[in-house]
Amino acid sequence: METDELTPPVIALSGLTKRYGLGDAEHTVLDGLDLTIDKGEFIAIMGPSGCGKTTLLNILGLLDRGDDGDYELDGRNVETMTSAGRARIRSNQIGLVFQNFNLVSRLNVIENVALPLTYQGKHKTKRLQEASKMLGTFHLSEREYYMPWQLSGGQTQRVAIARALVNNPSIVLADEPTGNLDSRSSHVIMEELADIHRRGNTIIMVTHNPDLTSYASRVIHMVDGRIDSDTKAPRPKKGELAPKKPLGTKRKPAKKPRKTKARKS
Amino acid sequence: MRLLITNHLANAYESLRANRLRTGLTVLGVTIGIASITVVLSLSAGATKIIGDQVAQAGGAIAVVRPGSPDHDTQVNNITATLAGAQPTSSLTQQDVSDIGNIPGVSAVAPLMLIGGNVTTGSTTPNDAEILATTPSLTDIVSLPMSDGQFIDSVTNKDTAVIGTQLAVNLYGTDQAIGRTFHTHGMTFTVIGVLKLTNTPVNYNNVDFDHAAIIGIDSGKAFNQGVASIQQIDLRASNDSKLASVVDQVNKKLSSNHQGEKDYVVLSGDALAHPANELFYTVAATLTTIAGISLLVGGIGIMNIMLVGVSERTREIGIRKSLGASNTHITWQFLIESLAMSLGGGLTGYVIGYLVAFGVARTFLTFDPVFNWTIAGLSFGISLLVGLIFGLYPAVRAARKDPIEALRQYH
Repeated sequence: METDELTPPVIALSGLTKRYGLGDAEHTVLDGLDLTIDKGEFIAIMGPSGCGKTTLLNILGLLDRGDDGDYELDGRNVETMTSAGRARIRSNQIGLVFQNFNLVSRLNVIENVALPLTYQGKHKTKRLQEASKMLGTFHLSEREYYMPWQLSGGQTQRVAIARALVNNPSIVLADEPTGNLDSRSSHVIMEELADIHRRGNTIIMVTHNPDLTSYASRVIHMVDGRIDSDTKAPRPKKGELAPKKPLGTKRKPAKKPRKTKARKS
Repeated sequence: MRLLITNHLANAYESLRANRLRTGLTVLGVTIGIASITVVLSLSAGATKIIGDQVAQAGGAIAVVRPGSPDHDTQVNNITATLAGAQPTSSLTQQDVSDIGNIPGVSAVAPLMLIGGNVTTGSTTPNDAEILATTPSLTDIVSLPMSDGQFIDSVTNKDTAVIGTQLAVNLYGTDQAIGRTFHTHGMTFTVIGVLKLTNTPVNYNNVDFDHAAIIGIDSGKAFNQGVASIQQIDLRASNDSKLASVVDQVNKKLSSNHQGEKDYVVLSGDALAHPANELFYTVAATLTTIAGISLLVGGIGIMNIMLVGVSERTREIGIRKSLGASNTHITWQFLIESLAMSLGGGLTGYVIGYLVAFGVARTFLTFDPVFNWTIAGLSFGISLLVGLIFGLYPAVRAARKDPIEALRQYH
């Protein structure tokens, strides 16, 4: 990470607290969390159920707001932003992969993948072109006009990942992206995430499966809304996890026009 | 930020098509409302136009004096107010008629006295005949061509009458009625003339000349204890440019005759064209009420269906928000859907309204409904308003949904 000193951390949390309920029923899900994530990290968040992993991911994805503490994204405090501003960041900088896929059931695969581009104001032809290209990288070109229910679990998850990546986000947040898949499919998905990571994107993934942490450059264990351990794993050697076919050769990992544009706005 | 209107339109089309029956039933409410409004407006415009055409055809320089307070200023008042013909007594007198006749610039003046009761041949009694007592100068103001015989004049006998073609057919079974007799109010009249078929039941005289028996004003007075109860005084100015000053002087003269009491009204130009047909007003009032109610019901239907749609698609809203949709995007997505329904209903209502208006006009009336931009604009505007008013709350409700809560919901 040579650029660490030059650029502010992508994500900086300080004292982030989230509570649910009121009075006696109040329950602290995130308890004063401090976390700094640099550009290009691949983070696996682990921990028992109810330790606040998903809540943390929701806050990081700007779907939720913390009750206390600060969240700075690219050096900007997003806790105090308007909902329209947060929507713009979600649209331009963040890609979300959900555990239960969350494809829109009445739209077909390519429309689902093109959905994030809609909110960037791109024209339909452009949207479908980009979505098609993205589906191509995930070997789903033949499934473009399938409806979500016609896909297998692995395909559905790949569609969900393709959708999260289509707007070229700088941060990818994945909530148990392999939760419902068998280990073979899991590794396929993980290799794809690792590939995205190699292109320079920041990936934050919640998982229950310790096997998958080997893909991550940093593993965070959470217990009761606090960080229990934070280990930076040595980055896996190049080529070790390389997929059989190189993915996204047309994309230029060094240049990220979307990100610089978003930062200006 | 772009509003993505085309995208929302495609979206609305898809989701409305997916629930065709539901959408169709919702749209029906607005359709009925807009159809009723279109019928009322196009027919009332048609009636107004026909009278305007009559006045223009007659040379334009015509004014009428009617008893009662000045004309109601709004359409709604016109529809709901008591009709001019239903005034308990008329405030106009024969003195007024002769005074108006003496005003310089007035080329002709004629009183119109409508008398109740039936005409009968003894065996046949048409029930839609109207008895009109007037003076011979009426023909100088209203175009009343004769098909046979002559109009009443200063030398014709008191017991002679001119009748309309349709009345002649109804009474005698033929329009060759010269010399035949009929009875009314205990008097026997001989027909000395038959009018040509005018086919203008709607006119500024409120007399359907095809069904009228026209008698002299003196005979009319005899049926009314010797008092002329004048419903209307028609007058013609010697030319168009003098009409305004003539109306002015008529107002002054009548004001002094009536001790300053404004119990009469002088109408000319467009004011003449207000249709005064009782049936027309009844139909208009009924349809306006139906339109109002069904638009309200239709609007509530739209709101109801939109709320159902919002709760059905809560999860989709959550997904869209998590993928970068702002509250504005979601608001527009649902607002455009409700607008599509209301405008669709407005368009079909407009078309159906004209079909009904033509059906009614061709079956019961003698004029055609009028097409104009006001009616089209009003139909469009009202349906737009219904869609906006009743679609806004569901749309805002959808936009305000918390994305996390929304994502947690399963179908």
